[in-house]
Amino acid sequence: METTTLTAPPDTDLAARARGLTRTYGERGATPVHALRDVDLDLPAGRFTAVMGSSGSGKSTLMHCLAGLDVPTSGSVQVAGRALEQLDDTALALFRREQVGFVFQGFNLLPMLTARQNVVLPLELAGRRLDRAARERLDLVVTTLGLGDRLGHRPSELSGGQQQRVAIARALVTEPAIVFADEPTGNLDSEASAEILSFLRRSVRELGQTVVMVTHELDAASYADDVVVLADGAVRAHLADPTADELVATLRGGAR
Amino acid sequence: MRSVLLASLRTNTRRYVASAVAVVIGVTFVMTIAAISSAARDGLVSSVGAPFADADVVATDVRPADVEPLLAAARRDGARAEVIGSAFVPVRVGDEPRPAEGLDSVAQVTPGGGGRWLELVDGAYPDGEGQAAVGATDAEAAGLSVGDRLELGRGDRTREVTVTGLVRPPLSAAYASVYVTEADLLPYAGDLYPEAVTWSDEGSADALEQAVRAAAPGAAVQDADTYVDDLAAEATRGVDVVALVLLVFAAVALFVSSLVIANSFAILVAQRQRELALLRCVGATRTQVRRSVRWEALTLGVVASALGLGVGALAGAGVVAAIGSRFPDVPLGDPSVSWRWYAAAAVVGVVVTLGAAWLPTRRATRVSPLAALRPEPAEDVRSRAGRVRLGAGLAVLAIGVAALAVAVAGRQALLMVAGGAVTSVAVLLLGPVLVPGAVRLVGRVGGRLPGGLGLPTRLAADNAVRNPRRTAATAASLLVGVTLTTAVLTGLASVRGAVDAEMSTDNPLDATLTAEAGGQVAGDLVARVEGVDGVRRAVAVPGTTASAGRLGEVTVLAPSAAQESSVSYDPGGLTPPAGTAYLPLDVLGQGGRVPRTVELTVGDETTSLRAALPPSTDGWGPAVLVSPDVLARLTDAPVTSAVWVRAEAGADAGTLLDGLDVVADGAGLAADGGYASRASADLQLDVVTGAVVGLLAVSVVIALVGIGNTLGLSVLERSREHALLRALGLTRRQLRATLGAEALLLSVVVTVLGTLVGTAFGWVGVQVLVRQVVQTAPLVVPWGQVALVVLASAVAGVLAAVLPARRAARTAPAAGLALQ
Repeated sequence: METTTLTAPPDTDLAARARGLTRTYGERGATPVHALRDVDLDLPAGRFTAVMGSSGSGKSTLMHCLAGLDVPTSGSVQVAGRALEQLDDTALALFRREQVGFVFQGFNLLPMLTARQNVVLPLELAGRRLDRAARERLDLVVTTLGLGDRLGHRPSELSGGQQQRVAIARALVTEPAIVFADEPTGNLDSEASAEILSFLRRSVRELGQTVVMVTHELDAASYADDVVVLADGAVRAHLADPTADELVATLRGGAR
Repeated sequence: MRSVLLASLRTNTRRYVASAVAVVIGVTFVMTIAAISSAARDGLVSSVGAPFADADVVATDVRPADVEPLLAAARRDGARAEVIGSAFVPVRVGDEPRPAEGLDSVAQVTPGGGGRWLELVDGAYPDGEGQAAVGATDAEAAGLSVGDRLELGRGDRTREVTVTGLVRPPLSAAYASVYVTEADLLPYAGDLYPEAVTWSDEGSADALEQAVRAAAPGAAVQDADTYVDDLAAEATRGVDVVALVLLVFAAVALFVSSLVIANSFAILVAQRQRELALLRCVGATRTQVRRSVRWEALTLGVVASALGLGVGALAGAGVVAAIGSRFPDVPLGDPSVSWRWYAAAAVVGVVVTLGAAWLPTRRATRVSPLAALRPEPAEDVRSRAGRVRLGAGLAVLAIGVAALAVAVAGRQALLMVAGGAVTSVAVLLLGPVLVPGAVRLVGRVGGRLPGGLGLPTRLAADNAVRNPRRTAATAASLLVGVTLTTAVLTGLASVRGAVDAEMSTDNPLDATLTAEAGGQVAGDLVARVEGVDGVRRAVAVPGTTASAGRLGEVTVLAPSAAQESSVSYDPGGLTPPAGTAYLPLDVLGQGGRVPRTVELTVGDETTSLRAALPPSTDGWGPAVLVSPDVLARLTDAPVTSAVWVRAEAGADAGTLLDGLDVVADGAGLAADGGYASRASADLQLDVVTGAVVGLLAVSVVIALVGIGNTLGLSVLERSREHALLRALGLTRRQLRATLGAEALLLSVVVTVLGTLVGTAFGWVGVQVLVRQVVQTAPLVVPWGQVALVVLASAVAGVLAAVLPARRAARTAPAAGLALQ
């Protein structure tokens, strides 16, 4: 089976890079679980990448390690030119605040804050007052995601789709180097899902963001520019602009 | 993080209520103590200083013999002198002179009330000779009112006075039951115990001093203000000591509060894991998260303390007013509290809250950001008490017990306190093993209960122990309260037992009426004595009158063994062996030495006996005790010479003694007996027990609030589980019952554990503290009181579960099962 792989682009165009990334779980005495085995991966900037694989393939673990949420057993991760293994816990937190955006499948928002407060949360954590630049960015993000009339509501007063939009707005408000989305449409109906996915693509096209989305749905992957396929903790394929057939074939290629 | 902090405070307000209540109770306790102490100080100072308010100089160390010359000198110089102090003078009431109950001391008052330091309650101050003022409470007890006549003294020193007014005497050396003017006091001047003599006149202090010293050489004279200051300082020292002791109880209450708060915060942080993890994902550092939660604790502390100050100020004023109206004789003044107390109470409240929340908030920062990524709420954390903790707990326990053993052997109080603290720490450390283990045991046993009680018991037991650390933390606060209460109850019961034993040997008879030498007890008297209210049994003791050489005429008594054991608390103690006579101290007189032999002569018969003091040296009246065969030898015609009385258990001492007085009066009988001291000791122990248990009850209440709180918070966590059970067919009532059973199980197990430890502590306390004074102090466990404590805690535990159980049962199953 032929795979179309990306040629390694120059470093400055890389949003993230992993070399020899390995993550093993297992307490003393229990059987070790190899979530990631020696993964090498280059994620180009300004692209919408989908990470796919069956359950147990390690896609969530890969995202955690790339985002600085989990410490790999061995190997190195570079995001926006910074080597993550050199950062301590506080530095990682600051890094996440400034360079990374998150959208999760569920529970994205703090339930006791309004939508607006949730969106500016990273800025507040940094202690930054909203200067002109920040306010302009906020307006831009809010407009792009169509949240203008929902800013004063609490999450409990918003629909699932609206909550995810607020989450995306928060992820984008600091102009991060990379946005990670973990099954963002998992809890949404098809209409809301389509909405969210198109917003994510818009943020890539119009705002120049880099988005990496973990998903198991083919429909979702079809919005993406590139697709990384994982199986058993290793990268089976990294496809650029694949067609649907190519994608299905790659995914099925693992099942014998 | 300000928006997060404010929003969180707003949302979580309900969950902080229990912690706030704990702090409010603790701070209120402190403020109430402050109010009582301030009022007592104020009252005591004015009470103690009142008699000297108008004086210029005060003379102390005045000999009784100098009182009259001093008063005469004052009259000569035109100064006003007043004796502060009283004389013990028998007082009889009215026309048929009967002893006035409780009136026995007479002191001086200046005509017209003089300096008005005696508070007038009714009528008017005595104006001159023949008039008297009587203490209001004493007058009420004796049935006196304004206009009644009193007879003071006996023989040729008798004075007759009319009661012109009722007053409230201060509780100090200036206290007396009857106040008369100088003219009526002079006959008793020599019997006075003069605490001080005040002197007011014009002139320089030196001139006055000289005048006083001229009349009473050897007296110490000082300026009145200095004297009052010294008196006040001494009086307040006593109050300060009491306040300190009360503050110890407040400290216990605050400690229990801190346990409740710590547990609350631990649970709250555990429940907010996802929220905190999300913050970490979005970029909050550990420090930011920690600080935010701590700010919440600080806010809670400040608000709760402020509330506590308000409630405490009201409570303090209220308690002082209540004491004042119930016990009008207790001098209570202004209960207003200085700002220092307010500040201290506020600081303590805030520090306790913040300190208690400190460690649980550390755990908040250990949240991994990954915890936010799980689509479902995290399973509640199953923690196992580590082996390290177990080992450390056992080691500390060994040290604590060793320290206590050494303290018991050496009677060292400080070491005992240290050992007790260390052992308590060990018990708290071992808590996660002890408490769940005990609950599991009960569950296994209770699981075999018939009638459908088995399953809920097992379920309740399982639920209670699924998080051993949390169960133990919840139990800790109640454990502290119950252990202390049981220790105090056991200790006091043992003390009571020891005191009773000592009293039985020292005062083996409740009451005796002994005929004077040459007299006898009238025939019908014994029957009348038996009819007195409070008398259980009266025996007529045979005897006679004999001459005993140097000791003069004495009454001789010969109780039979049967008679003595029917009324005495120490059978055998008052029946002398053959050939011996017991001599009472009364007959020997002051400073009398016990002779080796005594010769008793009745008519022509003389018997020589060995003389001795009996095991109980007192308590049966002024008579010589001999064995019945000696009496038979001395006379063929013994007469009833004494009546020995055994009182009903719990009879009122006043009523009993009054009744006996009425019977004995005019019959020439001398009354004696130990019932008054026995009753008084019992009363004192009852009061102390009640007070201490009441003070500790505050801590127990706080602990129960904590248990209710924990249950409530746990219920929130288990909502999905409960929804599942309800969906599977558990009824509302069954669900409520299960939760109630959990609370009941926990309360009872903890109370029993606390009782065991508390009894051990009580025993140690008695061995170390009481044995220094009383020789034999065996452990007495007040089973009745202990059972009450267990019952009360069981009931309270069930009550604590009522609200959380209702909330749990109210949720519809579908709502609880829905994701998110």
